[in-house]
Amino acid sequence: MTGLLAIGFLIAASLAIGVYGVRAARTTPDFLVASRRVGGGWNAMAIAGEYVSAASVLGLAGLLLKDGIGTMWYAVGFTAGYVAVAALVAGPMRRSGAFTVPDFAEYRLASTGVRRLCGLVVLVIMWLYLVPQFKGAGVVLQLVSGTPYWVGVVLAGLVVSGSIAMGGMRSATYVQAFHYLVKLAFIAVPAVFLVVRAGAETRARALEPVTVPDGWSRPLLDIGDAGYPLLSTWSVLLATTLGAVGLPHVVMRFHTSASARAARRVAVMVIALLGVFYLFPVVYGLFGRVLTPHLVHQGATDTVAVVLPGEVAPGTLGGLLTALVAAGAFAAFLSTSSGLLLALAGGLSHDLFGSGLSRLRLAVAAGAFVAVLLSLPAAHVDINVMVGWAFAVAASTFCPLLVLGIWWPRLTLPGAVCGLVVGGVSATGAALASVAGTYASGLLTVLLAQPAAWTVPLAFATMVGVSLRWGSPPEGATRAVLRLHAP
Amino acid sequence: MTIGALREARLLGTDLRAGLRAGGAPAARRIRRLLRADAVLLADLDGPVARHGTLPAGSDTDALLAEVYEHGTALRRPPLCAAPLIVAGDLSGCLVAAGDLGEEDLGEVARLVAEHLDHAGLRTARVRIAAADLRTLRAQISPHFLHNALAVIAAHIRSDPARARGLLTDFADYLRYSFSTQGDYATVAEELQATQTYLELQRARFDDRLDITVRMAPEILPVAVPFLVVQPIVENAVRHGLERKAGRGHISVSGVGEGPFVVIEVEDDGVGMDPALARAVLAGGGPPARGVGLANVDQRLRAVYGPEHGLLIETAPDSGTKVIIRVPRFMRGVVAE
Repeated sequence: MTGLLAIGFLIAASLAIGVYGVRAARTTPDFLVASRRVGGGWNAMAIAGEYVSAASVLGLAGLLLKDGIGTMWYAVGFTAGYVAVAALVAGPMRRSGAFTVPDFAEYRLASTGVRRLCGLVVLVIMWLYLVPQFKGAGVVLQLVSGTPYWVGVVLAGLVVSGSIAMGGMRSATYVQAFHYLVKLAFIAVPAVFLVVRAGAETRARALEPVTVPDGWSRPLLDIGDAGYPLLSTWSVLLATTLGAVGLPHVVMRFHTSASARAARRVAVMVIALLGVFYLFPVVYGLFGRVLTPHLVHQGATDTVAVVLPGEVAPGTLGGLLTALVAAGAFAAFLSTSSGLLLALAGGLSHDLFGSGLSRLRLAVAAGAFVAVLLSLPAAHVDINVMVGWAFAVAASTFCPLLVLGIWWPRLTLPGAVCGLVVGGVSATGAALASVAGTYASGLLTVLLAQPAAWTVPLAFATMVGVSLRWGSPPEGATRAVLRLHAP
Repeated sequence: MTIGALREARLLGTDLRAGLRAGGAPAARRIRRLLRADAVLLADLDGPVARHGTLPAGSDTDALLAEVYEHGTALRRPPLCAAPLIVAGDLSGCLVAAGDLGEEDLGEVARLVAEHLDHAGLRTARVRIAAADLRTLRAQISPHFLHNALAVIAAHIRSDPARARGLLTDFADYLRYSFSTQGDYATVAEELQATQTYLELQRARFDDRLDITVRMAPEILPVAVPFLVVQPIVENAVRHGLERKAGRGHISVSGVGEGPFVVIEVEDDGVGMDPALARAVLAGGGPPARGVGLANVDQRLRAVYGPEHGLLIETAPDSGTKVIIRVPRFMRGVVAE
């Protein structure tokens, strides 16, 4: 009950900030100066708030409990992605004035066809990313209120699309920044409490786990125990690091910065904010191994962060802490999904089928509906694995497009299109094949479950190769590229 | 058959959108197909600009063109045939074709080409008019406003020197922005700055019975929009909504992002107007006193972003006016310098 109350309160607060929180001021100077000075910090928190998804709050701890400490490479990759973002795309993206990746593609390649193709890729990535968020919401609601999984998923779809329809994202920056703080507080407080309350003995056992399966404490990831830990780790790192570069809803946020310089500085701040945040899932994972190893057998490792406080402190206090974590997870879900859904709806209405506000609303509803449908059968796929796929597809499509588009003037339209298609089809196909069946060969399992290791180089090679062979750079390409780098 | 011919005629218009020099080559190809001629040559007064097919050997086109330009009529010098292009009454080019074809057919096609060229000319004229309107708008800071601003500053100089100084700075900023000549686009932040300085001056003149609220989501401040779209709307709200209203007036300017769009709303609680009048004002009609402001903004928004992004006006007598701008955050070519 407490959990439901906490979640209800959170939704109400987010809506209030969304609708009324637009900065109000009476006179010019304080308004503009304030919005410029405060901008950077708020913006960084907003980016971190949108980025830290249910995958980070629930999935990381869950996967750590299940697969061992090599899972932390996901956190490393999620954070390190912003190093690549700051170095490669944040500044130039801001200078281009493009709001979304399809905008950028049109700006750079001077073609509306490629814009549509990018809109399509946005849909794929966003749906892949939305499904685990909805799954997270379903699981958390199931835990705190006992409703069936599907009720949680459907409810989540309704809440997110409803809050967007009510104008809940009209001042997205403040809502997302608020959500970052909520998430940080709600995951940090119970984590610190866990560490203090658990006692010296449990702490020692958490750091030196004894009753763990072989390879659990190895600092490398081994997907599906396939026997290729180094390849798996590299593949995950590649997907998460380069995926962050290509995530459509991340790129959008840099448009908000006042200048290219500010955009880069914001990206650096995000790295710090994420670094702080990712300390805590590790706590849950390590303690979960000691206190709730049974979750592994139940196949419910994604719930570990919510279950743990209750294990350590039964009674009201534990209930309260569980409510806190649940609300944090729900904040993660709400902020990430609204950002994702808006990006998806933008792609659907603006890039694929002419624009218009009524179409945007319709697209939000349609996007949420499809995501809910896809989430229903996904109850048993790990949250973090699905998020990994979204990153892998982004890394194999938009990352090459943005990086080459920004840094290589010779990129041609056929090159970009072929690269997008090859990268998108191979990464999505591998992910689907990985869900569809199990494979005898360990190498094949790894290459399908975490395809970035081969799809990213393939996409880059296709874009470069085809660009060199066919077509010439679009008219005005040199000027477009110059503009991206001019101070 | 007829529909096919109409379609060809329309596509010929598309080819010639940007004039004879830019679209001559595809137009020549299309005309050759239309006439089933062996070769087609299009020329303007400076000489040939586009040719399709091979002219018979030994044909002296220069002499032919000179002859056509001298007499201004169609000529037949087998195997060549030539007809002048008379655009809006002026001789401005020539269509030459080779092969077995009727003089009537050639004349008809030449008139069609001339018609299309006329349209192309009108189209560029329309762009020029829009640019001229913008210049007018910039130059059109009303003498009343100048006088009032200076008078109100003068009134404050003794009683409240600090305020007078602030107002004078606002005035200077406002003038600089309005007179600035570079670029057709500005960021929302710059537009807002200009709007705010304008409102500060108006507020001083209204003896502070004007309340101003600005609510702006920070994420839209760097978005590029056409130059001077917000300020004329605010000016309209002050001049026609609030000046005639007794007692306190309130004006609010707010901006939010909605997915890929930016929405800017200017709302006042002034006297409002008849929706029919609002429609007339947008259409460019209405009483001249309403100024060119709103109609011009509407036109420019449509020209830049397409017809679905014009101004939206919600109003009724005695219940204030709300003007809504809704434009995409990104549009190719729209960049604030």
